[in-house]
Amino acid sequence: MSVARRLPEVLVPALLVVATALLGLAVSNYLEGYFVNTLVKVAIVVGLYVFIGNSGVLSFGQISFVAVGAWTAGVLTVPRADKPIAFPGIAHFLATTNVGNSASLALAAVVGGVFAFAVGLPLMRLSGLAAGIATFAVLEITNNVLGYEGLIGPALNGFSSVPPTTGIWQATIGCLICIAVAYAYQRTRFGRMLRATREDPAAAAAAGISIHRQRLVAFTLAGALAGFAGGLYVHLQPLAANDLFLDLTFITLAMLVVGGSGSLLGAVVGALAVNGIYTFFTAAVNTVDVFGWHLHVRAGTAEIVLGVLMVLVLILRPSGLTGGRELSLPRRRRALADLEKARATT
Amino acid sequence: MTGLEVENLSVRYGAVEAVRGLSLEVRPGQIVGLIGPNGAGKSSTLHAIMGSAPITGGDVRLDGTSIVGRRPEEVARRGVALVPEGRRIFGELTVDENLRLGLAGRSARTNGDGLARAHELFPILREFRSRQAGVLSGGQQQQLAIGRALAADPEILLLDEPSLGLAPKIVDIVFEALTQIRDAGLAVLLVEQRAQRTVALADVSHVLANGELRLTLGSKDAADTERLVAAYLA
Amino acid sequence: MILGILSLQPLTWPTVATALALGGVYALMAVGIGLVFGVLRLVNFAYGQLIMAGGYALAYGSLWNFATWQSILLCFGVVLVLTVLMDRLVFRPLRTSSPTVMLVATFAVAFLLQNIALLKFGPLSKNVGSLAQLNAPWDIFGVQIKEIAVLAVVTALGCLFILQLLLTRTPLGLHMRAAAMDFRTARLLGVRANRVIGAAVIISGLLAATSAVFLSVQENSISSTFGLQDTIIVLAGVVVGGMNRPIPATLGGFSIGFATGILGGVLPADKTQYLTSFIFAAVIVVLLVRPNGLFTRGGGAVERV
Repeated sequence: MSVARRLPEVLVPALLVVATALLGLAVSNYLEGYFVNTLVKVAIVVGLYVFIGNSGVLSFGQISFVAVGAWTAGVLTVPRADKPIAFPGIAHFLATTNVGNSASLALAAVVGGVFAFAVGLPLMRLSGLAAGIATFAVLEITNNVLGYEGLIGPALNGFSSVPPTTGIWQATIGCLICIAVAYAYQRTRFGRMLRATREDPAAAAAAGISIHRQRLVAFTLAGALAGFAGGLYVHLQPLAANDLFLDLTFITLAMLVVGGSGSLLGAVVGALAVNGIYTFFTAAVNTVDVFGWHLHVRAGTAEIVLGVLMVLVLILRPSGLTGGRELSLPRRRRALADLEKARATT
Repeated sequence: MTGLEVENLSVRYGAVEAVRGLSLEVRPGQIVGLIGPNGAGKSSTLHAIMGSAPITGGDVRLDGTSIVGRRPEEVARRGVALVPEGRRIFGELTVDENLRLGLAGRSARTNGDGLARAHELFPILREFRSRQAGVLSGGQQQQLAIGRALAADPEILLLDEPSLGLAPKIVDIVFEALTQIRDAGLAVLLVEQRAQRTVALADVSHVLANGELRLTLGSKDAADTERLVAAYLA
Repeated sequence: MILGILSLQPLTWPTVATALALGGVYALMAVGIGLVFGVLRLVNFAYGQLIMAGGYALAYGSLWNFATWQSILLCFGVVLVLTVLMDRLVFRPLRTSSPTVMLVATFAVAFLLQNIALLKFGPLSKNVGSLAQLNAPWDIFGVQIKEIAVLAVVTALGCLFILQLLLTRTPLGLHMRAAAMDFRTARLLGVRANRVIGAAVIISGLLAATSAVFLSVQENSISSTFGLQDTIIVLAGVVVGGMNRPIPATLGGFSIGFATGILGGVLPADKTQYLTSFIFAAVIVVLLVRPNGLFTRGGGAVERV
């Protein structure tokens, strides 16, 4: 398929992000924070998509890579003078090392990727429920260790005094980087091979594709993106271990499923739509006027609306709002075409 | 009327039309053979009768009442028993437990003793009653599958390639059992690949190809190999 | 940090009793989760919220000065109603979906119920009142063992025994076992799908209510996250044991509960906060060595998720 016809696949998600950013710039300063937050969530969900979307395998472990990235970027950017108070028990090496904003994000990506690789190396051999539970175990262990271990961070206290460098610009650029990387990956041979294993594992294996290796590649890349997004997140607001645990796992999975886990567009649309609803109801706690309609909702309504929405989407439209399709011009059955290409190249 | 009537039946999986306008009848005390090459639509016909394949047209009647749209368990409980392809024995359960599973299809319809009949027909099922079904030989498992179907005391017995993968001697046992089952008054619909033997055993045999009825033969036609071959190749 | 484990505390009888009790309760939860998985191929992540609902029922029972038996009855009623509602409103429409969709759906239900509880009952935890007296120790051959631990072990054994009889000695049990192995063939033989699924759902609800009583008394602090962590641990145990057969699933649930209880007792005081990590690290190791289940023979038919 020609490049021109495929261009909408990456341009539409990117434009959606830019439009969100512009909208964020247009609103009041007070509301801008919600938009920045939304963009960071988009980045997290795009990372989640890179593994789940392309492999078709469920992972509950993604947020542990976000957490590790957040820890990396956070610990490395808290001003050195604040460290003895913020991290009383921290390792000497971390207490004395400081890097700038961009470097902290890059290192967050590296640490996220390395951690994901180390975890994925044994775990990607598993499939089915065993894989689901094993990734859940990784999430539990990461949360447990980050939440209590003072050697590597704030432990129970959570972060404070991380420079708040994630404004609307950083969030937008970060988000676009994630989208670009995710798209580039799924256009490479690796991405196409992994998608072939998703459609028909037996045929893909018969064509010489190593399912384990391809899943590991995606898992590692997803881990790096997650780490990067975690870095963006910690530069946005003070985080503690439990901010990066079950609730975030649920919300990001909800975004991916609602949007349609099969496509990059689905990931972005889902993240934007769910965040929009979630933010609206969170903001509505302090009463919101909707076209002159005075709305007052109780705290916690957002989560309930989200839960109901997700159950409804799963029942009525299990492949998500976008149906798992990319937006591109006339197409044929791509999975089969990919399989053929993969066969030809291996 | 009594027995099973299939009228103008069509079965479709997505774009694939597996059975097209098939009509046949099976009366009590009769064996009807359904033969044809792989993919002819034989198994689909049986599953459509059982309610486990999508019927897109036509009718299936049991003792004059349509059973189209019924769930498999309802069809079974109305007296249609299936011996599925590949036997589908529960290997982790004992022989006796497998037979008692067959009782699930009995409901309140009958008070006949299907279990006793199964034991009578296949004595090994009594002998090995507490063994795990998974360790039985292929022939023994086939006997168990037929015994399990008979436990429900059905009026109609559907068999999907019962001779598949069995040694010739075992096939003799199975076919002999089918004769006895017919003589006991059941209506038997037998799907088979062994064309000649089936035609010889059955009262009527239909040759199916590409989902359509090609030829109907009586048991005297078993020797007429040429007609059979012609029907397969048509 | 991990090396500190070398200075373990001595294993005492009360620790063993607590571990047995936790193992017993987790075994019941494992059966509840495993039975539904068997017939629906559905991993019910929202099982913990059934237990949470039961916990709140007990707490409100005590708040309204109900007698103990009335509170327990209320707990069973609430949990059963919720179980059936969950099945009708969510599981049934999703019955033909892929295991992944069903798992994510139960994840959503769990999150939903948890937040409804938070909204309805507030962030402060509630206690179960006079039921907590069951935490008083009994003197058994000179060893102080909590009453509730003894009750939990006895009840768990009783429930498992009854369940074993049901599964092996009754037609319904036979049908449930067959449905768990090969639902399609079972239905072709006349096994009624709705009845088998209904039975599994009801039994899983009864077991959730029973577990709720014991967990509520043991922890005596009911909040919206009550039962969540227990369910995650039990799910891990069930998968480790072997998801699609009742006995391996039960053993898996018991083992992880027992291990949690023992580790909780012997870890040095400054390491107990890492209990979760030890347990889940063990889960990962076992999954890598025996992906189809620790207590199953041969390959289990585990769905692709």
